[in-house]
Amino acid sequence: MSKSFGDVWIFGDYRDYFQNRITLQLIAKGKDLAEMLNTGTTVVLLGEQVHQYAMEYVAHGANTVMVAEHPKLKEYEVETYTTLLSQWVKSYRPEIFIAGATSFGREFFPRLAKRLRTGLSADCVDLEVDPKSLLLVQTTPAFGGELLAEVVTPDRRPQMATVHPGVFRELPHNSEAVGRIIYPDVDVFPEPRVKVIRSRPPIKGKVSLEDASVVIAGGMGLRSKEQFELLYELAELLEGEVGATRPAILSGWADEERLLGQTGKSVKAKLVISIGTSGALQFTTGIQGAETVIAINRDPDAPVFRIVDLGLVADAAAVLPILIETLRRRL
Amino acid sequence: MNIVVFIKQVPDVPNIRIDEQRMTIIREGVESIINPLDCVALQAALELREREGGRITVLSMGPPQSEEALREALAAGADKAILLTDSAFAGADTLATSHVLARAVSKLRPFPDLLLCGMQTIDSDTGHVGPQIAEELDLPQVCGVNEIHVDGDLLVLKRLSEGFLDTIRAPLPALLTVSKELCPVSDLSLGAVEAAFTQKDIIRWAAHDLGLHPDEVGLAGSATHVRKLRQPAARTGGRIVTGSPQSIVDALIRKLESMSILDEED
Ligand SMILES: Cc1cc2nc3c(=O)[nH]c(=O)nc-3n(C[C@H](O)[C@H](O)[C@H](O)COP(=O)(O)OP(=O)(O)OC[C@H]3O[C@@H](n4cnc5c(N)ncnc54)[C@H](O)[C@@H]3O)c2cc1C
Ligand SMILES: Nc1ncnc2c1ncn2[C@@H]1O[C@H](COP(=O)(O)O)[C@@H](O)[C@H]1O
Repeated sequence: MSKSFGDVWIFGDYRDYFQNRITLQLIAKGKDLAEMLNTGTTVVLLGEQVHQYAMEYVAHGANTVMVAEHPKLKEYEVETYTTLLSQWVKSYRPEIFIAGATSFGREFFPRLAKRLRTGLSADCVDLEVDPKSLLLVQTTPAFGGELLAEVVTPDRRPQMATVHPGVFRELPHNSEAVGRIIYPDVDVFPEPRVKVIRSRPPIKGKVSLEDASVVIAGGMGLRSKEQFELLYELAELLEGEVGATRPAILSGWADEERLLGQTGKSVKAKLVISIGTSGALQFTTGIQGAETVIAINRDPDAPVFRIVDLGLVADAAAVLPILIETLRRRL
Repeated sequence: MNIVVFIKQVPDVPNIRIDEQRMTIIREGVESIINPLDCVALQAALELREREGGRITVLSMGPPQSEEALREALAAGADKAILLTDSAFAGADTLATSHVLARAVSKLRPFPDLLLCGMQTIDSDTGHVGPQIAEELDLPQVCGVNEIHVDGDLLVLKRLSEGFLDTIRAPLPALLTVSKELCPVSDLSLGAVEAAFTQKDIIRWAAHDLGLHPDEVGLAGSATHVRKLRQPAARTGGRIVTGSPQSIVDALIRKLESMSILDEED
């Protein structure tokens, strides 16, 4: 069998570059997929003065970066990006096309897939090439994460997916890496119908759970507001932020902006310590993006222990004062 | 202003259970509800009608029992409900679903000014259907909207995108998907349920009513196939420690040291 495949394409999503590493994560994964198909990895990059990102993508493993530079591409704009990329896909025929499940990725990729009459899976947590069929197996959460579905796109191309940020690891920066940077022709664009007239950057208030590298999460097991407040001391000692479960917030122990979970925030911290939380799925979706999860719960059968790296079976009321005291002595 | 709200009936996900043998959802005994964000969309439509006048049409593609969801929407104040139901529609992915929904919209007279979807459903979680309807109908789209102002035939919208608060201008007609911040859903008033049952009828359209061939809908018209459902693997390597509070604290401190969150103590 000597079927030859088009490249694996990755959408170059560079907004908030230093925080948002999704494109680099996708390049690393894209290389694995491309190797299975004996093909290359291409990042498509649209914008104004984006050459610096092209260099970065090569240094992180891209074989090719296809760049469209134009003042009209400065803003991420669904219809313009859809039109341009659908033209490129038709000319270059990638086998696979993936994007990060960022706000923009989730807004424009469905439109692009529809225009290309191909399939798309959402917010994937794994991607593999099946060694037999050479199809892309797209693993995507369903029913709020209760189940994982393995989705394939048997006949249509490209096989498209958006990918949950943080599930793949980027490759280290290699300034010696070589790759091609090409500038295909770009057509003139119609005026976009939808216009962003103002974009206010995030107000980095006191609470930025999404960016914290340590998050202390508290639940009903803390029993009282006084107990809950110990978490702020702990967070301060570990230079972290405090998050809470829905019932803890309903009890008035913390403000809504600290809510973690399906209806709240999702963290990508290095460490989450979850204290007195049962580990309901609606909550754990918010902390599962962390590299390491430690939980303290006095019930050894608490569901939260199913998702931890380290589970501590203990009474929070007994552990917290000792822990805070120990840390304070050491700092 | 004529508004279409797309609503989907979904199982009440936090209460679903899984048949671990067959890896399917046990729906028996699980209530079906209107997808929560679709309730937000409907509520927003009701408020807009209050201010701007016009009519609200609710559209749903699903099995015959989805009628309940449409009845609820009528009870809450929608003017007209259309159920797109046909055995050929079963097994649709978002490409095929959006095709049926878009086709139904294109049959409406007059063509609606505003189309509202939830930002995503709680069962399939994709958020694809809204943008894909917009694409098929060649309408502008904005996703995740948390504020809607109508200014003549212009919309001024707000939405959060990666933490940025965007203010957006879009022409009508347009398709919006709504986030939960758009408006609080005071349990859609069901006081009028009975009236809805007796007074308003639900229109039913099957594939042939929409001029659709069975090959372009349902499983046959889908680009993706679900090969397998499985349960997420538990995180592996998790170590469970029991013991006195002091020994628990020691275990925690050692872990923090191994992660370089704390410096090692000599
Ligand atoms: C549609 C929907 C959306 C939801 N969205 C969210 C969401 O976004 N975020 C969210 O958090 N929740 C959400 N929920 C609620 C969620 O299902 C759970 O009810 C909630 O996460 C449980 O919070 P908890 O762990 O604090 O409380 P509980 O479930 O009451 O758990 C308390 C835990 O503390 C332990 N404990 C008790 N005493 C002690 C002690 N002294 N020391 C140590 N441990 C102790 C207990 O063993 C227990 O495991 C949602 C629910 C629904 C239906
Ligand atoms: N079968 C359906 N019938 C009517 N509306 C739907 C259907 N499926 C999805 N939608 C709409 O599209 C939105 C996003 O759905 P999804 O792409 O499945 O996450 C939902 O919130 C609904 O507004």
